Amino acid sequence: MSLRSFRAALLGAAFSVAVLPLASFAATPDDTLVVAQSIDDAVSFDPAEGFELTTVQSFNNLYQRLVQSNRDDGTKIEPALATSWEAGSDGKSLTFAIADAKFASGNPVRPEDVIFSLTRAVKLNKSPAFILNEFGWTADNVDAAVTKLDDKHVKLSWAADVGTGFALSLLTAPIASIVDEQTVSAQIKGNDFGNEWLKANSAGSGAFVIANYTPHEALVLQANAQSSNKPKLENIIIRNVPDVGARRLLVEQGDADIARGLSADQIEALKTKSGIKVLAVPSARTDYILINSKANPTLGNPAFWEAARYLVDYDGISKSLLRGQSSVHQAFLPVGFPGALTDNPFTLNVEKAKKILADGGIKTPLKIEFIVFNDQPFLSIAQSLQSTFAQAGVTLDIQPGVASDIYARGRAGKFEMTLRYWIPDYFDAHSNASAFAINKDNSANTVAKQAGWLIPELTAETLSAVKEQDGAKRVALYEDLQKKIQQSSPYIFTLQGNDQVVLSDKIKNYAQGLNADQVYYDKVEK
Amino acid sequence: MVSLVRWAWSVALTLLGLALVTFAMTRLSPIDPALQLVGDHASQSTYQQARQELGLDQSLPIQFLHYLGTALSGNLGQSISTGQPVAKDIARTFPATVELATVAILIGAGLGLALGIAAAMRRGTWIDSLCRLVSLVGYSVPIFWLGLLMLLLFYARLHWAPGPGRADVVFQYSVKPVTGFALVDTLISGKAGAFLDAIAHLALPAGVLALHSIAAISRLTRASIITELGQEYVTTARARGAGLWRVVFVHVLPNLSGTILTVVALSYASLLEGAVLTETVFAWPGIGRYLTTAMFAGDMPAILGATLVVGTAFVLLNALTDIGVTWLGARKTR
Repeated sequence: MSLRSFRAALLGAAFSVAVLPLASFAATPDDTLVVAQSIDDAVSFDPAEGFELTTVQSFNNLYQRLVQSNRDDGTKIEPALATSWEAGSDGKSLTFAIADAKFASGNPVRPEDVIFSLTRAVKLNKSPAFILNEFGWTADNVDAAVTKLDDKHVKLSWAADVGTGFALSLLTAPIASIVDEQTVSAQIKGNDFGNEWLKANSAGSGAFVIANYTPHEALVLQANAQSSNKPKLENIIIRNVPDVGARRLLVEQGDADIARGLSADQIEALKTKSGIKVLAVPSARTDYILINSKANPTLGNPAFWEAARYLVDYDGISKSLLRGQSSVHQAFLPVGFPGALTDNPFTLNVEKAKKILADGGIKTPLKIEFIVFNDQPFLSIAQSLQSTFAQAGVTLDIQPGVASDIYARGRAGKFEMTLRYWIPDYFDAHSNASAFAINKDNSANTVAKQAGWLIPELTAETLSAVKEQDGAKRVALYEDLQKKIQQSSPYIFTLQGNDQVVLSDKIKNYAQGLNADQVYYDKVEK
Repeated sequence: MVSLVRWAWSVALTLLGLALVTFAMTRLSPIDPALQLVGDHASQSTYQQARQELGLDQSLPIQFLHYLGTALSGNLGQSISTGQPVAKDIARTFPATVELATVAILIGAGLGLALGIAAAMRRGTWIDSLCRLVSLVGYSVPIFWLGLLMLLLFYARLHWAPGPGRADVVFQYSVKPVTGFALVDTLISGKAGAFLDAIAHLALPAGVLALHSIAAISRLTRASIITELGQEYVTTARARGAGLWRVVFVHVLPNLSGTILTVVALSYASLLEGAVLTETVFAWPGIGRYLTTAMFAGDMPAILGATLVVGTAFVLLNALTDIGVTWLGARKTR
């Protein structure tokens, strides 16, 4: 072989590598919606267990509950598998009339399905079980609490001191999804109530069924032929695209119809692209700084809590760092929840903070260990806080860590200050109030307990709010609780989330609500 | 027979050591698998139940012995983060990595050898400069960045390549997975379009991964040939009138075959470990990403299972390389 022919061979080999990828690549099919996001968090698609963002976002599409939150106004509760309901005279029971509906298997929805679904969720005692525990239901008493009256009626009763309005809110949570007892029973192994099978399969009456789930790869939903609410598209493919840069490219090129979880920079760049639109949906996520009041006398001093409120550059973080992905919010109830405070009384005011610290007898400089999720935007926010706190002589020693370690240290009270967020578990003010305003005796794992903050009076007020039957009075109680906590507490509420979803402009009627589970694909059209 | 038993014993000890070190490192990490699983909102009773179900309430030696016992019976346990049996997860993810690594090493070894030989034979020319440039780029450019750049150029700008993933949506669920290797499965499905799509999806990630192998193999090949060309037997052969091509292909390369085989095998092994970053950028569901995700979740069964499988592949590859090098040495002696 001459050198010339060798060179040609070499170039040919290189060229073949370059042109090998030549292939026609398809835009998404007309009957299929392709969503690019991370699904690495998904653990289980069993509604009695799934509590991660990916699984929670799927439940409204796979299952129905007895009642559901209205898509546009989550505070309104409307019928789903129950056509109507009636509260018991004691205020501690509800009787539901079951609708004529069918599961994807073709089996009719019966009271037995309701009983099976709710009792298995309590007995399995998985992550979201605490929601149904609010009724006072335990593995030992739940069988007696959910009973069949006749072929069309089921009665739920509870011992806990909670009102029927709150009870209905609890039943809108994904864990209250109704599964097909006959289908799931055929898959039971030992005493797992079909949990292993439901981790990757569905047995609901929602608009879609799980056609295929491959962990870390894709979730494929297919239209449920039995559904009374026929979806417009036949398939939904939720692809795992772990890298946000790749997600952006996919939606830009038309190989994905929707991309979730893009960074603020990417969203900014895509706003001006043709063929793409950015949908901004307020979310119920609230970000806050948590101070461990038991860590040392300074952190337990209410003067420090008050000063810290003036050492946060709320506008800077919201506008410059997060650019539309969050807005300033300073109360524990997110805007959109009944009674949420919408005023934001605190701004960055270093001089005022210094005075409060001095008046409170707190000597500076002082150093605080600040544990933060090792992820964005938490690290950027932490750096902003480090800069503004430093102006008042407070050094924040940022210590990045993995989420489970930060949560574990929170539970054990082994931290000084941390940056956290809270997403309500169901559409009711109590979901947040029970976290931030209950700690009578350190017996329950609430955020207040993690802050080492004993609050018997606020606890009593929170418990009276949850059992209040009068809606207006209930709202007033939550407003009062928020004001008290806003005034003095070891939490500094800073931001409310704003979910930015990137869609191809061919997509119509995509709906997403305030709460994490409120993602709906049934009306989506191309 | 004795050497085979000795080899099997050393493999068993290696894997045991690997399992022990992996177990210790995972347990020493600050990740609480139970809390990772149930989340911070879960009640204390749910958290305690999860700890019990995961066996975390037992002492570390008992946990390890329990794992070994079940692993020896062929059960790698259930992944905490996927909820699926680890064996099933590995059966799905490992072929994806093997396929990617194999194509990458074929490209890497082919081009690396060709470039190294050409550079050694034409020192100081453009091909030598190209070899050095490729080595420099292959070693110094972060693979994550290069992957994104390649996607931007060949996928987003030129539209020559498909986007991230192993197949286009239209093919992904129309081909039944049989072997887990997309090329093989699409081929036996008889769908030509799906096969071409699988090739197209492999090309970019395999090309990006191959660059590192090209860099390693071409540099070593070039340096080794240049060293050999200074040896007396080469001078003698040249004095007897043998041309450069003949000297390199008939005399030098057979002498270097053991070295080259070793470096190719090492490159292949490093690709098999799981090219985590490439798999992340190209949404490639391989064992590298599986292992990394498991590590962040403190998913002990998945971490141990994947580590043992990758470790076994490593050991087997080393053994095959040793056999190959010995065989080549014997041929040279003859």
